[in-house]
Parts: sequence; structure tokens; C-alpha cells
Amino acid sequence: MGLLSLITFAPIIGALIIALIPAEHVKAIKGLAMVTAIATLGFSLFIFGQFKPGDFHFQLLESIPWIPSLGIRYQVGVDGISLWMVVMTAVLGVVATGVSLYESKRVKAFMILLLLLETTMLGTFVAVDMILFYTFFEAALLPIALLIWIWGDENRKKAAVRVFIYLFAGSILMLVGMIVLAQRTQLATGHLSFSLIDVQAAVANGKLWAGALSLEVWVFWAFALAFLIKSPAFPFHTWLVDSYTQAPTGAVLLGVLVKTGTYGLIRFCITLFPEALPRAAPAIMGLAVVGILYGGAVAAVQLDIKKLIAFSSLAHVGFIVLGAFSLSYNGLVGAVLGGVNHGFATGALFLLVGLLYLRRRSRGVNEFGGLKAQMPVFAALFLISTLAAVGLPGTNAFVGEFLSLLGTFESGIAHTVGLSVGYAVLAAAGVILAAVYMLILFQKLFYGEPKLPAIRRLRDLRGWEVALALVPTALILWGGIYPATFTGPMQASVNATRMMGMNSANQRPAWGNSAQSLDERLNLYQGAEQVAPAGVHAQGPIAAYNAARPEDGP
Amino acid sequence: MGDSDFSYVPWIVFTPLLGFLFQALLGKFLIDRLGARGRWFCGFAAVLVVAFPFLLGVAAAFKLAGMAPAMRGTMVTVAPWIDLVGFRAPLEFYVDPLSITMVLVVTGVGSLIHLYATGYMAEDADYPRFFTYMNLFIVAMLILVLAGNLPLLFVGWEGVGLCSYLLIGFWYKDHANAKAANKAFIFNRVGDLGFVLGLFLLFCVLARSAGSVPDGRFLSFDLIRVQLVNAIGANPGYATAIALLLFVGACGKSAQFPLYSWLPDAMAGPTPVSALIHAATMVTAGVFMLNRMYPVFQASPVAGGVIAAIGAFTALFAALIAFGQMDIKKVLAFSTVSQLGFMFVACGAGAYDAGMFHVVTHAFFKALLFLGAGAVIHAMAHNQDLRNYGGLRKYLPITFLTVMAGFLAIAGFPYLAGFASKEEILGSAIGNGAVVVRISGFVALFTAFLTAVYMARLAGLTFFGAERWRELPEPHAHEDQALPALMEDEPDPNRFYYTAAELAEREAHAAHADHHELGPEHKPHEAPLSMSIPLIALAIPSLLAGFILGGERLQNWLYPAGVKPGLLGWDAPPWLPWVSGAAALLGIAYGLRTYMKGLPADQGWDMGKWNPLRRLSADQFHYDAELMAGMSVGGRTVGLALSKGFDPLFVDGTVNATGYTAGALGLMLRKLQSGYVRFYALTMLIGVLAIVGYLLYASKGGASL
Repeated sequence: MGLLSLITFAPIIGALIIALIPAEHVKAIKGLAMVTAIATLGFSLFIFGQFKPGDFHFQLLESIPWIPSLGIRYQVGVDGISLWMVVMTAVLGVVATGVSLYESKRVKAFMILLLLLETTMLGTFVAVDMILFYTFFEAALLPIALLIWIWGDENRKKAAVRVFIYLFAGSILMLVGMIVLAQRTQLATGHLSFSLIDVQAAVANGKLWAGALSLEVWVFWAFALAFLIKSPAFPFHTWLVDSYTQAPTGAVLLGVLVKTGTYGLIRFCITLFPEALPRAAPAIMGLAVVGILYGGAVAAVQLDIKKLIAFSSLAHVGFIVLGAFSLSYNGLVGAVLGGVNHGFATGALFLLVGLLYLRRRSRGVNEFGGLKAQMPVFAALFLISTLAAVGLPGTNAFVGEFLSLLGTFESGIAHTVGLSVGYAVLAAAGVILAAVYMLILFQKLFYGEPKLPAIRRLRDLRGWEVALALVPTALILWGGIYPATFTGPMQASVNATRMMGMNSANQRPAWGNSAQSLDERLNLYQGAEQVAPAGVHAQGPIAAYNAARPEDGP
Repeated sequence: MGDSDFSYVPWIVFTPLLGFLFQALLGKFLIDRLGARGRWFCGFAAVLVVAFPFLLGVAAAFKLAGMAPAMRGTMVTVAPWIDLVGFRAPLEFYVDPLSITMVLVVTGVGSLIHLYATGYMAEDADYPRFFTYMNLFIVAMLILVLAGNLPLLFVGWEGVGLCSYLLIGFWYKDHANAKAANKAFIFNRVGDLGFVLGLFLLFCVLARSAGSVPDGRFLSFDLIRVQLVNAIGANPGYATAIALLLFVGACGKSAQFPLYSWLPDAMAGPTPVSALIHAATMVTAGVFMLNRMYPVFQASPVAGGVIAAIGAFTALFAALIAFGQMDIKKVLAFSTVSQLGFMFVACGAGAYDAGMFHVVTHAFFKALLFLGAGAVIHAMAHNQDLRNYGGLRKYLPITFLTVMAGFLAIAGFPYLAGFASKEEILGSAIGNGAVVVRISGFVALFTAFLTAVYMARLAGLTFFGAERWRELPEPHAHEDQALPALMEDEPDPNRFYYTAAELAEREAHAAHADHHELGPEHKPHEAPLSMSIPLIALAIPSLLAGFILGGERLQNWLYPAGVKPGLLGWDAPPWLPWVSGAAALLGIAYGLRTYMKGLPADQGWDMGKWNPLRRLSADQFHYDAELMAGMSVGGRTVGLALSKGFDPLFVDGTVNATGYTAGALGLMLRKLQSGYVRFYALTMLIGVLAIVGYLLYASKGGASL
């Protein structure tokens, strides 16, 4: 069993052992779940030992035939884009399990489902075979729906059904798209394969979509729809609002669930549909901008803390989508980084709000007040998370959003794929809204006198709760102060991803060509593809990293 | 010029950073353990970590002064920060006369204000938290001024905004303070939108032209200087766009119209904060930024005209409002807004060094005035209304003398600091080749006269005339708030709540501060030594800075090659010193004559008797109230319409409609969902086991194949 399989299935192994423990041994079950989550995180850190940052290919590949007759394999690997997603999932797995130690209802089932959920997320991020990806992507729905159904709040059943149906229906078309891709691969290469590596190789040399533009556009939207729903982009966000509001505290992993959407957009939509991409990018970016402004405006009037966070997520995901589809190098780095950052930031907020909820059983913005005096450590941690949500420099969110906006602006100035600076200007205005809703929330919770007498009796966070909350908050600060840790390993893959989507046929890098290194490609295509008419970075080595399409469409 | 020459410069930033960490992590612990000694130690540490960088700054200044003028710009790189292949913004500090001048102002005035705060905040329960924020502010401000590239400057820029936010809301029990803090942050965010867009545009312009920057440090100042002329030369429209966008940012941070109104509200913070952040340092960041980026601004006469006009309008507008203010700190706040306007007039005229000159002198006398006001407030049981003061010179002799020094300096008494720097501003504007700038200059000259009058009003009402607080009614005895009834003990297995005993002890600990209220028996007392030393130390440069820095000495230091005045130069008219000196003297004389006698009848407690113009001025000409009402009502309406209307009706409605069409599926699922979770878990487990088993089987099969 390779390292990636070990990481992916470690939570399930833990769940299996828990299944053998009688349900009344609550402490043992909780302890084992915690050990499992920590071990998974520990394993995931081993990736760094073997990962080569300059290489854009999938690394640590494991490939086993699964259903050979259909060209389906159990194939897993990581590149610079999925690397941090895996680590982020493992980190939040620890956080989610940690806060779930407070769970008192049907603990055994809860822990099993939570660990199953973690496996499905990890699997989604490491899967290289499309069917394997789809399996994990969909398998995540069952545990999340059950967690909400059984352990959620007052409207849990409605929310659970809605999440399940919405997300399930949303991605069925993607499965059809995958089948089309596999078949086209067979047409182009003679081998039926669902492996992303094989499919992309056929896209890279231009054979896969040769003469099938309208099909390409259809399949693109089949994928895009599934991922936009999961991200979620406006107007597909209602499931998120329901599930964030109703989910139990332990469902911190919901923040990761939405990242499978943005990850899918970058992994599939940008790499596999070079001709459809410039046609669709402005529309998707339009949704992103609307999401940023809409999410901000609606978040500002919410009276339910979790609803507020849900709408703020809508806005933040907007920045990720925006950066990705700006198709500029800086923007794409910002998008990948933003996925990681937002995972930690929302994770921290969700955790802290959860800890508060456990104490007061209330999510009402107006039912607290005065917490700064009462819980100073909690206030400090919450402040850091708030600042990350606001996108303040010094927090990780700033770097991601800054790069996303910069990339969007660059593309706007250069009129890449028909974009204009309007996207960047409107989206940047959304940053003001973030300050409005987050500061109002912070004020209502922490300033003033306590609204209720019981609040005056609240203790500050307990020692282990502080330790738990310090995990994501420390990463928030680290990502803001030394983002090179995060951007370093992802750059080669981001650049390759961008060139897969932007370069013309035969000049696209291919995951399948393991001999190819990025530097070779740089030399290879210097001067050929880099002539951007109104493009930024006209010459020089930088230009190669900022290759823009020569015209707005094929 | 190797980096090693200035390798100690990062410690200018790191020292207060260590101080911040110390206060944040250990401050409360020390005070809890050691009591008064811990308090003393915290205060001492807080001052020390600001004073030490001052010494480093002095060393750097001497070293720079010893270098050839053209060589005075060294980049000290510390670590990578944003580190992408095509775009690098490292953690790097740019050491040149401009940054070191600001370092000296920030740490010099800053350490005096920290010292003052050890006295002013001595009785505050949150003593270490105060110095945590204050030290953090110094860190952010020093990053701002020393930053070697624009994104890093933005880190400091937002960082000082954060500290300002935290310190305005320092007394967190009052929601009004929190609202003022939010307002400051959000107004600055509006400005920052412009700043960021200007930064993006600058990046695009530079990156497009400068393919030859191999390491991607497009926005580093040493390279901007070199590249900008090439990049913009062909297209001055870009310069105007970038300059105006950056200026929007400066309007936010430096409280210029239309974004000024957060600054007066920011007076909700403790007075040392007002002195340090909202007068001497942070609010001048906009002027500093214009100096730092002056090649961009210089390339655009259009932007220059806009900046001068806005500066002049703000100066006049705020000076007029100052006449209607009765809160001593509000008067000073509007005076700050007005003085910042002067600085922008200079920058608009192209005399960036004159703007900086006024930044420096203003830092001295405005910090002095605020600290003096703090001493008065301290002496008057935290009452801030000028109508309650009067005759205080008897009780507060040191405060009186030092504040008078500050007053004369800001009023433009000939040859004092304010006169010298205003002189250069007015000279560059009134003698300017551009008409807009010339008009701005005359507006500023008139405002200088108004400044003398309203400052004389403040000084007169505070220190002269009858002791008006003697006429106040007897204060009510302060009633202790009864503890609200607490809920009965419930089972609390997770120990989320204090037990009744713990709670009683806790509430007893929360010392009930002795709220002394102002009444006829009140006897004002002079401030302790920790507060009067800074007053005296600031009074000296307020009087003398003009002699030391004037006469083009600061100009030669900041711009040894001379500021190229762009397209339109200026000639300071020879009559100017006489006219402006006379205006100042006239204003001082008129103001003192009016207000030394006491409170004029038409400015008393009954606003109904006020002159309608003064009433307008007291209400800021309704600008702020209307703006805030419009923004909050408008924003709320839109937000609620979307949240309660659009979202449930359209977004959700569409989803539900889709849901019903897929009703069959839903029905199926509903039946499935009615079972037991154990059943699901089991099904899933079986499924997973099946998959794993199959994989094992398949892998074996694969191996044998």
C-alpha cells in the first residue's frame, strides 16, 4: 500500500476498528477516533518528504487495474495543486474530530461517519482516475447527509435531504461527461481509459476534441455545473446555507467539502477543455463576481451566525473561482492558495462558533455581547479568524485574494478571453463588504455588556480547546507571514495547468509525458506562444509563465 | 553599498514586535503575579521597545548623512514573502532619507507617547492589552514606512488600520466605541479599494514594459524609480489613473474629504491613541505614500491639481467645522483633518518635501496638543467639554505652558515650527503655475487664519476665564450596578461555567473603578511626571523645528537632487511671509480677545441660541449624518431585500421547483432515509469492504497478468 492509499484509508481503518468496539465504551471510541485523525495528519506530512516541488506531474502515483474491461483503474497521485488539499483535509480532520469529543448522542455512529467522510474527501483529492474521483466525490454525500440528518439542529431533516439531492443531482451529468471523455480518448488513442493522465494527454495533442467543439462545450458545462454547485457559486448556494446552519459542530469538514468543488474546477475544467474555456470563462467569472457581492450583501444582514458564515463562504469562493478563470498565472496561484486558505479560515471560524454554540445552544448574533471581557482568549482567536475572513494582510486570506484579484485585473487589462477590468473592480469592492459583515459580527458578539446574565458566568476556553483552535489559527498566520511555504510546491503544477488550458494544441504540457519538465517547455515555447497582443509580460523568462492565448478563442 | 551596512535596520521593526509578543503573552500574567511591580515592568518594556529603534534610526540617519547623496538608498532584504515565479514581493526594507525620517518621527514621538501612556493609563484594568495594541501599531507603522515594495507597504497600511480599529474600540463595554472603530476600518477599506486598484494598475504597467526585471520584483521601490519613467513615459494617462487611485487610498488613511469623517469619531479611543495614531503618525501615512511614490504623481499634473483642490477644500471644510465643536478632542481632530489638507496641497503643488516638512512639525505640535488635552481631561475627571473648563492655567501650569507652545506653533506664530512648514506649503501653492493649485494656495492661506482663531478659542476656553465647572450641579452618587440574577446551577459536566463561588470572587475582583464625576467641588490636579516630561519634550521641537529643519535643510535631506517640479514650477511670492505672519497674529489676537473672557453667550449649553452657521458647523454641515444614514439604510435595504426576498423566492424557488420535478427521486430517497443509521453504516461498511476486497483481488490479478 502506497503512502497516498495509506493516508486515504487510514480514517476508514480507524472506523473499522471503532465498529468493533461496543457502543457503550464512549471514551475508547472518542480516543481512537482522535488517534486516527492525528495519525492521518501525521501520514499526510510524509508526502513532503517525497514530493518534488519543481515537477508538475502527479507524484507518488499508485496505479492498479480496477475494472480493466472499462479502462477504470485505482489510480491515485498528488501534484502541487492537490498536495495542500490533502494536508488541509487532514488538519481539519483533526479539528473536526477534536470538537466532536463533546458529542454525546450516538457517539460510535458519529465517529464512524466522520472518519468515513474524511476518507472520501482525501480520496477525492488524490484520485487520478475519473471514476475513482467520482466515487469519492459522491460517496462524501452519504456521511454528510447522515451527520446532518441525525445530529443536526432544528431543521436537520430538510437540510439533509436537500444537501443530498442537490449535490447528487448536480453531479450526475458529470458522470456522463466522464464517459464521453473516456470514449473520445479511445477514439483518439485506441485505448479506453478513465485515467486523467491518459485523457489529458489526448487533449494536449489536440486529438481528443478535434472537430467536436459543441460537444466539448457541452461536456465542459456538465463538469462546471457539478463543481459550481459544490463550490458553491451563485446561484447554487442554498444547500450550503441549509447545511452550514443545520450541521452539528463536528461537521467542520463541510468547509473541505466545498473545496472539492473549487478543486474540481481547477483540476478538470481548466485542463481538459482548452477550446471551451475561453468561451465560458467570462460567464463563470460573472457568477463569481455576483457571488462575491451578493454573498457580502446578504451576510451583512444575517442574524444567525452560521448563516452569516455560509454567505461569507459564498463570497470567498467567488474569489477562488475568479482567480482560477482569470487564466492568469497570479490569479490561478491565488485560486489554489485561496482554496487552502479558506479551508483553514472557515475551519477556524466554524470551530470557534461551534465552541460557542456548545456553551449557549444559540446561533443568534444578538444573543451574546460582552464576550471580550468574559472570554479574552476566545476573543483573540476569534479576532484572528475574523481578520482572515476580512482578508487583512498578515493573514493567509490576504495573499490568496490579493493574487486572485491581481490576476483578474491583469487579464482584464490584457483583455484575455474578452475580460475587462470591471470584474476586478467589482470583486475588489466585495472586500469592503467583508469588513462590514465580519466587523458587525465581531462587535455584536464581543463588545458591549453581556445580553444575558448567563454569559457573565461563562469561562474562557479550556486548555485543550485553545490548543485545538490554535491549529488552524496558527496556519492562518503562517500563511500570511510566510506564504512561500504554500506557494512553493504548487507553482509548477499551477503553471502546467494554466498552459494546458491556454496553449494551443501540441504546445500543451501533458501529465502523461513523464519525461517533460517545465523548463524544457519554457525554452520550447519561448517566442512561439508568448506573443500576447495586448498582453502583460511581453518578453523575458517571465513571459513564458504568463503565456496568454494569441487570440480570444480558437 | 552592500546590505551589511544596514543589516541592523530590520531590528527597528523586530524590537517592537518582540515587545508586542511580550505584552500579549506575558503582560497579564506578570501583572497578576507581581501587581504594581509587574505593571511598572510592562510599561517600562513598552517604552523601551519603541525607544531602542529610535536609537537605531539615529544611527542609520548619521550613516546616510555620511554617504554621497545619490547613494542614499539601500534595500535590505530579510526573507521571501510573496514569492511567485513572475511576481516577487519579499520582506525587504528600503533605507533612505525619507524612510529614516519617518522612523525617527514614529519612534521619537512614539516613545514619548508611550511614556505618557504609562501615566495616563495607569489605572486601567487592561493595561497590558493597551500596550499590546500600541506596540503592534508601532510595528505596523514601521513596516509601512520602511517597506521596500508596495505590497509590503500595504501590509503596514492595513496593519496600522487594524491597530487603529482595536484602539478606538479599546474600551469595549460601550457599543458606541465599537461603532466608531468599525467606521474607521470600513472608511479606510473604501480608500484601500483605490489603493489596491492603483497597485494592480501600476503592476500591469510596469510588468508590461519591464520584461527585463528577471526576479519579478516589479513593485520594489528601488526598481520602480528606474522603470517607471520608461513604463509611463509613453502614456501619461496611466500615471493619472494610478496617481488618482493611490490618492483615494491616501484620502481614506489621511482623512480627506469625502472620507474624512471616521477620524473625528476615532476620538473615542484613549487620548494617547489619538495623539499617536490619529494625529502624529498613521494619518500622515497618505502624505508619506505620496512622497514614496512621487514619480507617479509627478508625471501627472491632472492628479496634482485634484490633490491640491481636495486638500484645500478639506482644510477649509474641517477648519470651519472646528468652530462648532465643544469637545476638546473633536476640535483637535478637525484641526488634524485640516492640517492634513495643507500637506496635500503641498503634494498637489509638487512640493513633496514641504508636505513631509509639515508631517514632521505637525507630529510634534499636534501630539503635544493632544497630550496636553489628555492632561486636561485627566485633570477634569474625564470631562471633555470646553464649556466646563476655564481658568485652568492656575491649576495646570506645565500643561498650560506647553499647550500654549503647541497652540502658537500650529497657529503659525512667526518662526515657530508650524509657521516654517506652512510657509513652504503656501509658497509652493500660491506661486504655482497651475491655476487650480494657486487657488488652493489662497484657500489654504485663509484657512491658516481660521486655524489661528479656532485654536485660540480652544486655548482661551480651556485656560482662561472663569472656572465654569463650579457652576455644575452636584454629581449624583455613583450607584453600584446590582449584579443581575444568575441562573441556578445546572449540571455542567464540561465545566463551561463558573461555579457560584468562583463567580462571586471574579465579580469582586473586577474592581469597581471610582468614577469621580465633575462637580463644583472638583479640584484639578497637574499630571504626574510621566505625563509632563513628554509634554515638555514635545514643546521644544514645536518651537524650534522650523529653525532646525527649515531653510531647505529638510528638502536637501529628502530630495538631494531637488524635486523636479513637473511641468509647472512655482515661485514663492516675496510678500508671503509678511501676509501669512500677519494673518496668524491677527487670528491669534482676535481669537484670544474673544475667548479669554470666558464662554460667549452664543456658544453656551443651549444650542438654540447659537448662530445658525455655528450650528451647521457643529453638525459638520450634515455631511456625515446624511452619509451614514444613507449608507446604513441603503445597505440594509439592499441586504434585506436580497436576503428576505430574492434568495428565498428566486434562488430557493428555482431549486424547489427543480426538486418537485424530480419528485420521484425524492420519494424514493425519503423511503430509504427512514431507516436506522446503523443500517446505513453497515451498508456503507459492506460496500467499502467489498471495494477494498475487490481491489486486493484485482491487484493480485493485475500482478499475475
